[in-house]
Amino acid sequence: MADVLKFSVPGKPEYVSTVRMMISSLANTAGFDVEAIEDMKVAVSEACTNVVCHGFSEMGYYEVSCEVNEELIRITVTDQGEGCDLNQYRCPDLDCPKEGGLGLFIIQTLMDDVDISSELGKGTQIQMVKYCRK
Amino acid sequence: MSLEIRREFNAEERRWDMVLTGEVDISNAAQLRGELNKMLEEKAAPATIDIKDLSYIDSTGLGVIIGAYERMKEHGYAMKMVNPAKNVEKLLKITSLDRIFL
Repeated sequence: MADVLKFSVPGKPEYVSTVRMMISSLANTAGFDVEAIEDMKVAVSEACTNVVCHGFSEMGYYEVSCEVNEELIRITVTDQGEGCDLNQYRCPDLDCPKEGGLGLFIIQTLMDDVDISSELGKGTQIQMVKYCRK
Repeated sequence: MSLEIRREFNAEERRWDMVLTGEVDISNAAQLRGELNKMLEEKAAPATIDIKDLSYIDSTGLGVIIGAYERMKEHGYAMKMVNPAKNVEKLLKITSLDRIFL
């Protein structure tokens, strides 16, 4: 049986660290090790940053939902903003680093399962899972 | 969340020494960008950034550092980061930025 926590967060830069601290606390309580907790902090921050940077044309709220059970944490970041065409997404060229475009790559590298869906005009959802290795 | 940025020009080594303390994310990446810009405007020279007490950085912060690195490279100067914490080093490695900065 999983516990589910849901947070509604204003799409402002100053609240990304609040979400990060919340995830850190939750993962610590669930028994994840320090490295996994750090991975989750970075991944969720990147997802929130994505919303704050690209999600809204006007200020809005987005939702961070966390499902926790003995085996995993599933974090879902959902906005109802502008959305994007994921076909346009290109993996960053690590031999030629650029100022932007690392966020989704970092999420996919640090989390065990990642699912991203987006629809223009409707919003974006990033779902990411970390399995507990006790 | 706070970020403290200290810098001084090391006349003996002829380079900038910068020390970052705290966390860098979307809320304060502009502060870091501003300080790096000011540094390069004051004097174009190589830079070493001590990140021993940088407990967190995200892609926005890394993007700012990449931007400054690109501008320095145009002038023929290098930028290095030293003493990363384990979590920061991991992020630099997975993005392959360790090859440039460490």
